[in-house]
Amino acid sequence: MNADLEKLQESNKTELERRGSIFNIGAPATEAVTIRDQIAVGFGDGSVRFFQSGSDPKTVKAHKGVVLSMTNYEDHVLTGGDDGRFLKISSDGNIDEIFNFGSKWVDCVASHKDTKVCSSGKNVYIWTKNKDKPQTLEHQSTVAGLAFDNKGKRLAVSRYGGVTVWKLNNSKWISSNFTWKGSHGTVTFSPDTKYIVTAMQENQIHGWRLNDKADLAMRGYPSKIKSFTWVGNTPYLVTSGSSDAVCWPFDGKEGPMGRKPIVVANGGKELATFVKALNGEKAVFTGFTDGSVLLAEIDESKKPIMIRSSTGSEVSTIAISSDNSQILIGDMKGSILLSSLWVDN
Amino acid sequence: MENTSQVPVTVLTGFLGAGKTTLLNRILTEQHGRKYAVIVNEFGEQGIDNDLVVDADEEVFEMNNGCICCTVRGDLIRILSGLMKRADKLDAIIVETTGLADPAPVAQTFFVDQDVADRTKLDAIVTVADAVHLSSQLVDHHEAEEQIAFADVILLNKVELVEDNDIVKVNDRIRKINPFAKIIKTTRCDAPLDEIVGLNAFSLDRVLDIEPDFLESDHDHEHDDDVTSLSFVSDTPLDMDKFQDWFGNLLRTKGQDILRSKGILNFKGEEERYVFQGVHMLMDASPMGPWPKGKDRSSRVVFIGRDLDNMNLKEGFENCKSA
Repeated sequence: MNADLEKLQESNKTELERRGSIFNIGAPATEAVTIRDQIAVGFGDGSVRFFQSGSDPKTVKAHKGVVLSMTNYEDHVLTGGDDGRFLKISSDGNIDEIFNFGSKWVDCVASHKDTKVCSSGKNVYIWTKNKDKPQTLEHQSTVAGLAFDNKGKRLAVSRYGGVTVWKLNNSKWISSNFTWKGSHGTVTFSPDTKYIVTAMQENQIHGWRLNDKADLAMRGYPSKIKSFTWVGNTPYLVTSGSSDAVCWPFDGKEGPMGRKPIVVANGGKELATFVKALNGEKAVFTGFTDGSVLLAEIDESKKPIMIRSSTGSEVSTIAISSDNSQILIGDMKGSILLSSLWVDN
Repeated sequence: MENTSQVPVTVLTGFLGAGKTTLLNRILTEQHGRKYAVIVNEFGEQGIDNDLVVDADEEVFEMNNGCICCTVRGDLIRILSGLMKRADKLDAIIVETTGLADPAPVAQTFFVDQDVADRTKLDAIVTVADAVHLSSQLVDHHEAEEQIAFADVILLNKVELVEDNDIVKVNDRIRKINPFAKIIKTTRCDAPLDEIVGLNAFSLDRVLDIEPDFLESDHDHEHDDDVTSLSFVSDTPLDMDKFQDWFGNLLRTKGQDILRSKGILNFKGEEERYVFQGVHMLMDASPMGPWPKGKDRSSRVVFIGRDLDNMNLKEGFENCKSA
């Protein structure tokens, strides 16, 4: 096995670290999302900070405890916290409290156009435009993941025992259950909305084909999968949880059924903790347990590029600005690297 | 692997009305200068209001890992990983379980989930028992027995309401179920907090604290499904292969009935002591340094569980002795 990471680390600082800015926030970076030319990052001290190339980040004191979940919403971010608050925050620091759940955490958030969604405990709450009161969708166990399909017509809710897919039909939500034994975490729709995939409590991911509920069990990982991302036109579902970025092909009628994944960006003894697609390219950024980040094409014959060297703290988030010019990398110690991806910038 | 940044987690069990909330309120209000987060389940039983109180639903998940009795607390995995993202460091986390809860899934969570195991460690299971009602609860509810069986520390609370000779009886009854827990007699849970939190009772080092006089167990009991304990000592060194075969098979086939197991082992040809500590089918084991000079190299094992008489434990253990 070629340990790409070990060889690359010999050359100390990377080009991106040399030309970028490093901020030490002192609290774990929990989530990052892109809004126009800014990247918003949620932290373990409850703050949301808006990063932009060439200026200091703007800090918004949002939650009392940890920013548990975050997504973009029009020109704002939506955040959920362990203080029970579901917030809409603008980059100039305006905070709008959508709802306060008190002692219950707001674990997951999602949005599509003008629809705002969060989960707290076993319920999902949906706010649609011009309505003050949310619709409530109930589940048998705590919600662990939320995802809209690309049209916003279906909402996948992961939980213990599988996924509930809610479909909007004449402004009513109709549920359909996708069952697989075990506890399901983060959930995603494939870009063509033919599949849903979850990361499980066990060291595996599980998928279903939506039209016939056929199961796809993707196993063999040495640790829990915390992150996945869709890459390229094939597309590949690239996942963390192994010493490489593991890339499952979702093309053809059968997707990854009976096929082997491609593995790229070998981390040697480090495990991948976060993966993020480079928009429009067949390439993925992979962050590891030691804080290092590699950029690799989904091609086992190509060499990866070292983006960030080891910080000693696991990579917890990566975001790319919407014009593909900036990358932001955050870790569990709260170190943030913001850098331009290309020399010309 | 020992990791100094792991936050210790104390699991608090006990029947409704035994005094858990009294203890929690003490932990949250006393000036101890430490930062504790408390995960509560019976929210509203008696109002506890504090920033660091987390409201949880007990969600017991079956693991798909081939281990038939392996259940974990899904809500704990979620909450502990959330708490570990906090900017401020917690000194300890206290998990309250509901009165009728089986402590096994809580304990197993710390063996099964890697993220939980990396960042937190199970410190001790503390059971608050009502000195007035424990005897009848033990007859009526197997959960009460399990809470005693799993405990590292038992607060025998409300002793002021019980005659001295009845306290002795209750104490003996507890000892029959669990010979190694530390019993602290309290009024309004008034034990010093440092005897409850930060004990490191699940550390493999602490297995070495098993005292020899606990190892005399008489086991006359009324029902076959009573929780009892059995222990064995051997001065003859054990054969490592034989022990691993026997013990591995024992946990695989009888792990559901063995609530807890602990032991110190002297293997033939090994300079170091081996220690282990288990909950049902899951266990941790490792070498723990050389034997102290001038002391007997004797192997000691303790089992707490149901139906122990039908597991041929004595015979199995004897067969592990090296020839």
